[in-house]
Amino acid sequence: MDRKTYEKLFYDALRIRMVEEKIIQLYPSDKIQSPVHLSIGQEHHVVALIYHLKKDDVIFCSYRSHAAYLAKGGDLRKMFAELYGKKTGMAKGRAGSMHLCSPEVGLFGASAIVGTVFPHALGAAYANKLKNNGLVSVVISGDGATEEGVFHECLNLASLKKLPVLFVIENNGLAIHALLEERQSYSLEALTSAYGIPYYLVDDGFNLELVWNRSEQILSSIRQLLTPAIFEIKTCRYYEHVGVGLDYDKGYRTIEEYETWRARDPLIVNKELVDEFQPQIEKEISEAVEFAELSPDPPKEELLTDVF
Amino acid sequence: MRFITYREALHQSMRSALEKNCNSFIFGLGVTDHTGIFGTTLGLEGEFGGDRVFNTPICEEAMTGFALGASLRGLYPIHIHIRNDFLPLAMNQLINCVAKYKYMYGGLFEVPMLVRAVIGRSWGQGGTHSQSLQALFAHIPGLTVVMPSNAKSVISTYDYVVNHYRSPVLSLEHRLLYEYSFTVEPKSEEIINPLTSFLVKEGSDVTVTATSLMVHEAKRAADFVKKHEAIEVEIIDLHCVSHPDVELILRSVKNTGKLIVADTGWAPFGVCAEVSRIVASADPSMLSRPVINLSMAPTTCPTAKALEKYFYPDFGDVVHAIYTLVFETSDHGKELPSEEHKASQYKEFKGPF
Ligand SMILES: Cc1ncc(C[n+]2csc(CCOP(=O)(O)OP(=O)(O)O)c2C)c(N)n1
Ligand SMILES: [Mg+2]
Repeated sequence: MDRKTYEKLFYDALRIRMVEEKIIQLYPSDKIQSPVHLSIGQEHHVVALIYHLKKDDVIFCSYRSHAAYLAKGGDLRKMFAELYGKKTGMAKGRAGSMHLCSPEVGLFGASAIVGTVFPHALGAAYANKLKNNGLVSVVISGDGATEEGVFHECLNLASLKKLPVLFVIENNGLAIHALLEERQSYSLEALTSAYGIPYYLVDDGFNLELVWNRSEQILSSIRQLLTPAIFEIKTCRYYEHVGVGLDYDKGYRTIEEYETWRARDPLIVNKELVDEFQPQIEKEISEAVEFAELSPDPPKEELLTDVF
Repeated sequence: MRFITYREALHQSMRSALEKNCNSFIFGLGVTDHTGIFGTTLGLEGEFGGDRVFNTPICEEAMTGFALGASLRGLYPIHIHIRNDFLPLAMNQLINCVAKYKYMYGGLFEVPMLVRAVIGRSWGQGGTHSQSLQALFAHIPGLTVVMPSNAKSVISTYDYVVNHYRSPVLSLEHRLLYEYSFTVEPKSEEIINPLTSFLVKEGSDVTVTATSLMVHEAKRAADFVKKHEAIEVEIIDLHCVSHPDVELILRSVKNTGKLIVADTGWAPFGVCAEVSRIVASADPSMLSRPVINLSMAPTTCPTAKALEKYFYPDFGDVVHAIYTLVFETSDHGKELPSEEHKASQYKEFKGPF
């Protein structure tokens, strides 16, 4: 990876982190009344993967989707306005943090109901395939979501119908407060290979270069063969499941684990780049927040529009 | 008499279920973590062991069918969901299996179980974390649906269903009620079936039949209109929405001639529609004025606070409805509760969950 590419990925990841930090800072003010599932700690792999997606490639996400929304090119001002519940939000203040979308850059929805979006990505892949438009469909979801029956149904369907779809599993080892070991009896690799779906793994989601290289390889093979693949990325959810607190004192996981990840988190370690990029990002963020603050509330008439 | 919160009543009921019914067991996502379903299952795994209280993978349909199988073989499952919006994933099991098992097999089987699920509201819960799905389930013969509005209801209902009732029960608990305090009297030894409706307050001018949180809005409205206009409101807590006390409702409406139905869900095909059906099919001439329905607006819940306030009916809407019936016009010109007065009830709830 050349220097320029690395710096772009770094910039994009740092931008996401700083957006999340801004949300943390704003949250106590009650201006953002939306349950937030922060992407902090999970920015790296998202920017590295999405780098290789075209604007029109389709993605679907879980509720933990601030990173993917921003990486895919979603408008930052509209995101803050959405969190503020303003009329200028990307969904007119109706979706909130858990249901970000941005069809103009290919983000066709995110769901707060675990596992819901897997089949949406399959249907979109089917449409791409019929239209022969060369686009891929990507679904980004947590490790816990693979426990839902629909995930297993989707593996079968994706394989059977030979769909150009990539399942990205962000394995942070947690579903709310439950560790992976107490929830899963299967190995994702063995499971997907039973369906004949190629499985890829990156053990260190913080390694921008590794994820970037691997993503390029996976996505080009999907584009070429028009068949599904699964990509598991191990990562770390720094904050509590929902909300803006650190909860290492609750006993379900250790602070040491967090510190180990932080010690090799490029967004912390590479201070020089942080210092270099921070001012510009800060400016963009404060403009976006100001836009949200100054935007009007949705008027009462909008309560009953778009229903049918 | 003592004070106890809704949350404490739930915890006490869960503990007592495990203690009194040795076949009972509790499971669901998060029942054993440090938050313990908003505090209602805390400490139970430690006390009763992991066979009787356990966390599950994220697989609502499987766990619901699992509950059915366990129930068939003599266990009493208590399955908990932190939002009732997750129940649609278990719909096949609940509707096609759990609800039908007894009747379809000629009464050969019974599948008693308790499913607890929470209704969310406020703080941007939005479209998929704030629904109030009682109507979907109460529609299905074979499912008993309750919506306890206070600590006493929780305690008496859960004790009854876990120990004396042989059919599946779905209980919808409103998240905002968890922090409310109630007085409870010492339990009597007598077994009374709480799967019905309750008279909350007598009054001769208007009948308000309400569910869950709306019972409290109705009470606040009743205090307000009594103070300002000396209007006497009768309030019925529908509680068991699948099996409301029809006699109680009809007797009240016959007496007042005026009916408001205040529900946490949507009106069409819901509790509002059902109560109107009950009255209309008994004797519509009991009504001196048309029925007024108070319900969520007929759309998906928006996250924006500015819209959410129009989405939910509040106690100001109940007051307005009462005046509209009593003064026979919606142009009654009477003063309604101020915004601050209305907001006071909700300000305690601070998100995210
Ligand atoms: C169908 C359903 N069941 C339960 C929940 C509650 N819930 C919200 S997030 C979550 C954990 C999901 O974990 P994972 O897929 O690993 O995603 P992560 O939060 O770690 O990104 C659960 C159980 C839900 N939203 N939807
Ligand atoms: Mg996870």
